[in-house]
Amino acid sequence: MRRLGFHGRMMAPGMLLLAALSFIPLFTVIAMSFSRVRLLGGVSFEWVGLQYWIRFFTDLDLGLQWVRTLLFFVLTVGLEMGLGLVFALCLWKLARGRNTVLSLFLLPMFVAPVIVGLLGRFLTDSTFGLYSWVLKLLGYEDDILGGGTSAFLAVVAMDVWQWTPLIALITLAGLTSVPQSVREAAALDGASGWQNLRHIILPSISSVLLVALLIRSMDAIRYFDIIAVTTNGGPADATKVVPIRLYETAFRFFDLGYAAVIGLVMLVVSIIIARTFVRLLDKKGLAR
Amino acid sequence: MTPTTPIDRSPVRARVGVRVIVLVGLLWTLVPLAWMALSSFKSDTDVTSPEPRVFFEPTLDNYAKLFSGANNLGPYILHSVLAAGISSVLAVVLGALAGYGLAGTRFRGKKQVAFWIISTRMAPIAVVVLPLFLLFRGAGLIDSVPGLVLAYLTFNLPFAIWLMSAFFSEIPPSVEESALVAGCTRWQAFRHVVLPLTKAGLVTTFVLCLVFSWNDYAFALVFSGPDSQTLPIAADQLVTQTGIDWGQLTAIGTIVVLPMIAAGLAVRRWLVTGLTLGAVTGE
Repeated sequence: MRRLGFHGRMMAPGMLLLAALSFIPLFTVIAMSFSRVRLLGGVSFEWVGLQYWIRFFTDLDLGLQWVRTLLFFVLTVGLEMGLGLVFALCLWKLARGRNTVLSLFLLPMFVAPVIVGLLGRFLTDSTFGLYSWVLKLLGYEDDILGGGTSAFLAVVAMDVWQWTPLIALITLAGLTSVPQSVREAAALDGASGWQNLRHIILPSISSVLLVALLIRSMDAIRYFDIIAVTTNGGPADATKVVPIRLYETAFRFFDLGYAAVIGLVMLVVSIIIARTFVRLLDKKGLAR
Repeated sequence: MTPTTPIDRSPVRARVGVRVIVLVGLLWTLVPLAWMALSSFKSDTDVTSPEPRVFFEPTLDNYAKLFSGANNLGPYILHSVLAAGISSVLAVVLGALAGYGLAGTRFRGKKQVAFWIISTRMAPIAVVVLPLFLLFRGAGLIDSVPGLVLAYLTFNLPFAIWLMSAFFSEIPPSVEESALVAGCTRWQAFRHVVLPLTKAGLVTTFVLCLVFSWNDYAFALVFSGPDSQTLPIAADQLVTQTGIDWGQLTAIGTIVVLPMIAAGLAVRRWLVTGLTLGAVTGE
């Protein structure tokens, strides 16, 4: 203990616990992916070799679910970035009441995703949902969560509702730290609003936007709660993304070995994204 | 540090445009929440009326039902408070120590260690749940509050370490050095000089950990049972029982959401730092 130094000793308890909480599960899930796991009469592993991994590479349904996850990822993160940027710019232009508006705008971030999902079901219920009623006035009569495309778009909208504020918040922080002198110089040179945005403002907040993008990306890949309580992957698999598939493989069919394979691949994908995150930030000189 | 306002040369049309977008954004944000809160005070017939009712006779029936009879919400609230609270306190304490250590030291491979910490925070929840389910089953931690505390630590602890280290590295080293020169031991310097300077960091970390674990559904779904079910599970259970009692559901929703909104807004100033794990120092 002496040799660790003061900082080392301060770090030790937290780091040891974190190591236990991350490495033991990691080795367990790796072992699971090569084993048939039995739960009756205590947990036991039976070595089956590469069986589950081979199945993974021939699983067409899973391939489809990855495509759906990707589509979901692109749609939610894209919409959140776009809308978040627009709102941040508008809030930034707002001379009075900015803080009040921002506070109100942030509320969805603190709502439990399971409540977001249930609230979404409430609002889109075909007989008494507020949003269904509005859509009926506009001529749309179908059951929103009952149709494939509409259900997919609905769960996308719920995630966008919850997380656009985060992008707006981060972007606004970036905008308020753009040096006044930069903007004054651009205005003096007679730059139009659009040119100003395109050539001055966006470049100076690009690293902030990058952080926002990657923070959201890490979350979008593990998106689970809202779909689980709204459609649970349905109707007809229209919203079955990989995390939902993993959950049902593990805890409905108790096919734990195969679930472990799906999980490990998800982990690898998320580590690649996190790596990109750290590397890009390093390049921008933002990460510690 | 003070927020700058842009030089406003924009024509009136643009300014009106900005207001319209902000208004639409606020409606999109607030209508669902307002509707939830409103519905929680409605009678059953008003909640499920095909024509939305904005004017109605308010009643506390839904809340009363939640706290009486078979599915009393009391235990769920208790489990939520205990699991989320204890986990967040542990995360903040261990995170403050480790974050201080991490911020103050240089060693080979520090980058790798930092990356490892952040990657455990960002690991897909389902991947963590899966092996923990087996381990907890073996250790008898299924359906217990300590199990949930431990489960929540898998995401709260790395978050707290990373975030506290971001807050600690904001403090100039000279502060600690002068305390040491004045005769403090290293622990005294940390405890009485450095730590108080990062009160904002401690509070922010605690609140965000609390929000994450209070709102958790995936872990609680797998690990909890009758003796440990939390509020999000209670909300979900109202759905699976015979039909959905939307009045009670909106009431639960309101109960789950309100404290977190209050807590979140209380640390609004440091939210950017917190939610970007300190990567953006725009504030």
